Amino acid sequence: MSIDSISQDAPQDPGVQRPIPEAIRQGASATAESTLNSRHRKRVSKAFYGLCVAISLLSVLVLVVLLISIAVQGHSRLTPTLLTGSHSTSEPASSGMYPAIIGSLAICFVCALSALPLGIGTAIFLEEFQPTNIWLRRLHGFINLNISNLAGVPSIVYGLLGLSLFVFMFNAFGQIKVNESSGTEIMGVERYYQVLTLAGGGDSVLIPQSDLSQPTITITEPMPAVDRQGNTFQLEVWDPKSETPKPSDPAIRHRTVRLGQGGGAYAKTSWYYFRLPFGRSFLAAGLTLSLVILPIVIIASQESLRSVSPSLREASYGLGATKWQTVRNVSLPAAIPGIMTGAILAMGRAIGEAAPILVVLGATVAKNSGPQNLMDTVVTMPVLIFHWAGDPQFTYQQLAAAAIIVLLLILLLMNSVAIYLRQKMRIE
Amino acid sequence: MKNIFWLACFAALFAAGCSSSTTTDSDAPAADASIPESNLVGEIKIDGSSTVQPISDAVREEFIKLHPQVNVIVSGNGTGNGFRSFYDKGTDVSDASRPIKAGEFEKCQANGVSFIELPVAYDGLTIAVNPENDWVKELTIEQLTKMFVGDDAAKNWSDVDPSWPNEPIKIFAPGTGSGTYDYFHEVLAKANDSELRGDMTLNENDNILVQGVAGNKYSIGFFGVAYYAANKDRLRAVPIVNPKDNTAYEPSVENISSNKYAPFSRPLFIYVNSESLNRAEVQTFVEFYIENVSDLCEAANSVRLPQEIIDHAQQNLDARELGTHFVTEDGESREGAFAELFQNENLVK
Repeated sequence: MSIDSISQDAPQDPGVQRPIPEAIRQGASATAESTLNSRHRKRVSKAFYGLCVAISLLSVLVLVVLLISIAVQGHSRLTPTLLTGSHSTSEPASSGMYPAIIGSLAICFVCALSALPLGIGTAIFLEEFQPTNIWLRRLHGFINLNISNLAGVPSIVYGLLGLSLFVFMFNAFGQIKVNESSGTEIMGVERYYQVLTLAGGGDSVLIPQSDLSQPTITITEPMPAVDRQGNTFQLEVWDPKSETPKPSDPAIRHRTVRLGQGGGAYAKTSWYYFRLPFGRSFLAAGLTLSLVILPIVIIASQESLRSVSPSLREASYGLGATKWQTVRNVSLPAAIPGIMTGAILAMGRAIGEAAPILVVLGATVAKNSGPQNLMDTVVTMPVLIFHWAGDPQFTYQQLAAAAIIVLLLILLLMNSVAIYLRQKMRIE
Repeated sequence: MKNIFWLACFAALFAAGCSSSTTTDSDAPAADASIPESNLVGEIKIDGSSTVQPISDAVREEFIKLHPQVNVIVSGNGTGNGFRSFYDKGTDVSDASRPIKAGEFEKCQANGVSFIELPVAYDGLTIAVNPENDWVKELTIEQLTKMFVGDDAAKNWSDVDPSWPNEPIKIFAPGTGSGTYDYFHEVLAKANDSELRGDMTLNENDNILVQGVAGNKYSIGFFGVAYYAANKDRLRAVPIVNPKDNTAYEPSVENISSNKYAPFSRPLFIYVNSESLNRAEVQTFVEFYIENVSDLCEAANSVRLPQEIIDHAQQNLDARELGTHFVTEDGESREGAFAELFQNENLVK
């Protein structure tokens, strides 16, 4: 009601300064009019404060609702199986996310290894080595502008870039085909023919492959082969048409193949197996994610370098230090806590990204182990959650909620380790 | 220095992951001492129909219990997309919910990809509505044509039958790269050379379709019977009137295998690259697939094939009978019932 009366008193915009009452101008400390005015202003101020609290509570409320609904849905699936098992279609209840946890961490590792040095290096260049030449300054500004633009590019676009840049490499090195060596395998691969033995049940021996253009082999005579321990032995051949009976001793059966038995190429890979193009591998996925987070790392590192007091730098120059010495001993140590914060936020984004991973690796979630070599594909947590959440079966819905809890916990763990390290750095 | 520590943490986790993964793999078969540990190694790539994917997944899971060191990758990007990677030599096995098309067969020939065609199960393409839908009791092919074909297709339920509610029909359908879409299109629209309506909600992921139909009273959708069977409490399958005897049949196991659920009973296939079949792991996997698919496909909610067809498939696999039964020498698709076409004299390499 008072607001109404005031608006009658002062029909003009409340923002506009009202004239000082005559009584106050004469020397009175307060008048009825001025008290009313100040009461009104205080009330508006309080109302605004209340609004701010309500808005911030609203965002907390959304978070609480999210956490509660996930916890209610997922708590029954928070079992050891969830951490040790892998996705199963025939027995949903025994599904777990072990390969996805390892896969996400592996991708994050690649991502950190490539994005952090590049990003921090770029930030140092942009902040500490500012040129004085007008043309170089313009180039500098141009790079700065582009990095800010890149930070706004949707991640799925980076996914498509990663697909052609890392997965296919613009087909410059040929395509990855089954039954063919890509010809650009750089290291970590030994080629064999795998031939089934008489022992049955999928028992097989390996025969070293000398001619890469021959994808198959037909066994017609005894030849050297290797067992899984790497020992060479002479492979026996049994002719079903001959009078000799099929060997009955299992040990001999393991070393004997049927005459005319065919075998196909098998590439035995070590963990450092490296090949061009990368194909749908976790290396390609990690590098793609590093493109996604690179602008974030650069901008955060720039901000934090910018906030280092110029007097520190000038003191260093004053002592005769070179630019490099100043960066190495003064600016970078002072900026590291801020850079770390940026890096943590960026890694958190990387581990939660699903869209670029779906483009680069595809939506396959049936995998029972982490990556076995650099060119192996992986399942990641966001993709697994996406798959489970899209499945109408109730068990998978619960699993998705439980997996979200695990993902949040891992994020929390990563962040707290990084925050701890950051605090430690600051004290030093 | 803290960065190094951080990276070291990751490295340790990563290494732990790699090493422990192998132990978990080998634990499973060791439990059953009667089966000696298989030393078969290698990688098998499978892509194609999302209708066949649950079967391939089930076979995969059983297979890697016996051969834990074989890496089997099953994707379900749709029959058409699967054949595309198959003729580009990107996959060893292609899942298909329809026979190969003449154009795809030509691509295979041009790229030097020869294959063995193996039927693995029956599927009933299921037309499902929301359980709250109490007006649709059965559907005829004419009614389906009215609902699904052409851009002037029925907008409201009442356009199909005046006694039905005057509410818009919400349609959820598999994507155009899927064999299920192609098969549905072939049954309803191929004859008069028209297209399915363009305003359906398309998705390659059948689970999305299930959720779409389950979430809206006025919706209708179609997909493989496996996805209906897994969600029976949230969907209702509409009986389809068989044009031959004018009786409506549900997509039940009996009706599908006896072909009463016509014209929407259809065989599912796998296509195996014959060059890959030289590889010990692919050979072992495909033999395991044909031997066990009849039992495993029921767990995956598909319908088993008659034993004589499986036997015939087994013979073709043993004899390495290459080629397809469904395309003629002149590159035309053959028309006719599956059992009649699946004969060796129809094989074209």
